[in-house]
Amino acid sequence: MNEQRRYLPLQSTNQLKRTMGRYYALSKYHRLWGKPLGRKLAWVTSGAPVELLRAFNIHPVYPEQYGAICSTNKATVALCQAAEGAGYSQDLCSYARSHLGSVLRPDLAPMQGLPKPDLLVACNNICGTVLKWYEALARHFNVPLLVLDTPFLPGDLTPQAKAYVLEQLKGMVSSLEQNTGRKLHEKELEKQMNQSAAITTLWRDIRRMCRARPSPLNAPDLFIQMAPIVVLRGAPEGTAYYRKLKQEVSQRVAAGQGALEQEKVRLVWDNIAVWPRLFGFFRLFSERGACFVTDTYTGGWAMEISQGDPLESLAATYTEVFLNRSPEFRARQLIELIREYNADGFVMHSNRSCKPYSLVQEVIRKKVTRETGVPGLMIEADMADPRAYAEEAVRNRVQAFLELFE
Amino acid sequence: MLQSDEGKGPLELLLEESALRGTRAGERYPGCRFFGYFCSYWPEELVLAAGMEPLRLFPGPGSATPAELPSYTCSLARGTLAGALRGEYQDLAGVGFAHTCDTMQCLAGIWPETAAPGPTLMIVPPVTLRAPGAAAYFRAELQELARGLSKIGGQSAGNAELSQALELCSNIRRLAAELDELRPALPSQVIAALLRAGQVMPRREYAAALAGALTELKQMTEEAHGRQRILIAGAVLEGDSLFRLVEDLGGRVVADDTCSGYRHFAQPAGEARSDPWDELVRRYSEMPLCPCRHRSLEERPAYLAELAGSRLAQGAILVIRKYCDPHAWDAVPVAEELRSRGIRTLVLELDGAEVGGQERTRIQAFLESLSSSAGGV
Ligand code: SF4
Ligand code: SF4
Repeated sequence: MNEQRRYLPLQSTNQLKRTMGRYYALSKYHRLWGKPLGRKLAWVTSGAPVELLRAFNIHPVYPEQYGAICSTNKATVALCQAAEGAGYSQDLCSYARSHLGSVLRPDLAPMQGLPKPDLLVACNNICGTVLKWYEALARHFNVPLLVLDTPFLPGDLTPQAKAYVLEQLKGMVSSLEQNTGRKLHEKELEKQMNQSAAITTLWRDIRRMCRARPSPLNAPDLFIQMAPIVVLRGAPEGTAYYRKLKQEVSQRVAAGQGALEQEKVRLVWDNIAVWPRLFGFFRLFSERGACFVTDTYTGGWAMEISQGDPLESLAATYTEVFLNRSPEFRARQLIELIREYNADGFVMHSNRSCKPYSLVQEVIRKKVTRETGVPGLMIEADMADPRAYAEEAVRNRVQAFLELFE
Repeated sequence: MLQSDEGKGPLELLLEESALRGTRAGERYPGCRFFGYFCSYWPEELVLAAGMEPLRLFPGPGSATPAELPSYTCSLARGTLAGALRGEYQDLAGVGFAHTCDTMQCLAGIWPETAAPGPTLMIVPPVTLRAPGAAAYFRAELQELARGLSKIGGQSAGNAELSQALELCSNIRRLAAELDELRPALPSQVIAALLRAGQVMPRREYAAALAGALTELKQMTEEAHGRQRILIAGAVLEGDSLFRLVEDLGGRVVADDTCSGYRHFAQPAGEARSDPWDELVRRYSEMPLCPCRHRSLEERPAYLAELAGSRLAQGAILVIRKYCDPHAWDAVPVAEELRSRGIRTLVLELDGAEVGGQERTRIQAFLESLSSSAGGV
């Protein structure tokens, strides 16, 4: 196939499939092994302090990742329609809609939906949507909802914001102690934090290898390879997987092997993937030798875990995530990526589903171009709902943009 | 203090201010410095304490599509940003954002980069208002904001200034509550306009005019026999056309929980605190919830159901501004709760505050369904 010649598949992907398959099988059959072991199952947002949950032996499951799975399985439209039928507006986040659809209509959902939660944990460091989404889930399942409110940071983390998040984390510890009947062991939390640091460091190292020319990875690789860092952050099997991946990627770099057969243009990606068209969409670029050498989204999981007292470190780490910060911060971040990765341009996915990510992009785009001199393209689509994707218009815009580099 | 139009009655003045939406505030009240803000969680008291007048920014008529915001942004954000780009807020001493929804968060972020010549301030109130540490955090945020406002206003917002401002605002809120009680007996659009006036004109003038208008209004009251009694809830409504339409079609808005309506003024029950900062925290932590904040899972649906019940509302209209996530989310459990208590509920999506032919048909059918099921009151 044409695509195969142009695009170099990663050997590790087979192991990735096994690792993720095992995680979802464990999740699915949690009721069989979790109950006897006294381990609860929690649905958690991608930005929740999972280290704390793991320290309580809680098995975390991620509805946001499931939203992406629904999309790549072409189940999103039917599931969203189920949620829309129950009154949820078509303009709400499509991860939330498709996941709620899977709760209402498991018969339409991949894996027949996620295994039912014993508790829900939401952290609003990524958006306001998660709070409303988890409120809806808490009403539906009638299980406890723990919310960690991480104030948005217009500037730097203030002492009052840090103290507030810390107080809530302490409250969360008590709630979890009550809920699980276990005591928190500081040592266990420290261990979890160290494991998290280990996996995020690996993820960061792998990403940094893409500074090489040609880049060993392209955006679809990053988006596929991010799966373990989302759901297995802190789990040894996740770390083991990234060790292997790191090896393969460094071999590529050593051999001067790029993700694309011929890398002509280096780009940075901003926002979540267009899941329903992951390969088709990025092929519009790769067939013209344009490689996405890094991105802001999967980079969100390469955060440095702050040092020091574990709870304080959690407070700072989770409040300072990039989606919880000003456009000024986000522009700076993009500018640094462009410089660090020697990019020739950037592409922003104006993602109808994700307002906090998208509504500031145009201002960021102008600022970044002003400061770096590299052009940026804006494409309107949706991360999961294919109904918002206009193939022809996108193709034309991409073509015109790539002509700038010829 | 008003420069022209002497001899106008208080009611007439308030209706005029409301129609102007603050657009000519600087020229009408040259002695005042106005400070723009967006949301009901913005602490007006601090603006007053810093020697300025709070002015809520409402989008102008018509649809606006500033290039800085994508098409799937609510028209409140698009409209106000467009207003700023047209230079409508140039005379303001500054603009303040209270963090609420994702859209406001983004608008606050891009505002200084695009639109505003003056300073922009932001306060981030806690979302989970009763979480451990929330009150202390909120107090610190308010004090930091007070420092920022004092610099702009040139008057230090200390305890004495704050206490005075709290008194003025709670006086206004008492008057607004009196006005709200008159709803069943007065045209709905008049109440909506009078409440909006209280967000776009100097507060002392407003308090005085509202007190005067209330005397006038009490003489105008007339029991609304045969009208369907409606609760309206939703985000900001910058105009009264929805209220007018309900009236035209034979209904009456007997309860209102819109951001720019009574929710903006609702004072929490309970004792005021003696420390002015604690009192400020109490007010903004305990006022009726908007969908962007959380105290408990069932509070908002239950509050609205009880409000509808206490005003004997037969039906409810939940207004969702297109692309407004928080209200769209809440419409589901709120509608469910209201319906479970026998209150018919219409979820109405609007682009802005203006209603057109389509809405007329839907509201007409809705009101008819109410009279056929229960008969007007
Ligand atoms: S996609 Fe955006 S709006 Fe949806 S859950 Fe993620 S951060 Fe929130
Ligand atoms: S609450 Fe709704 S109407 Fe208000 S700014 Fe946010 S999205 Fe817009």
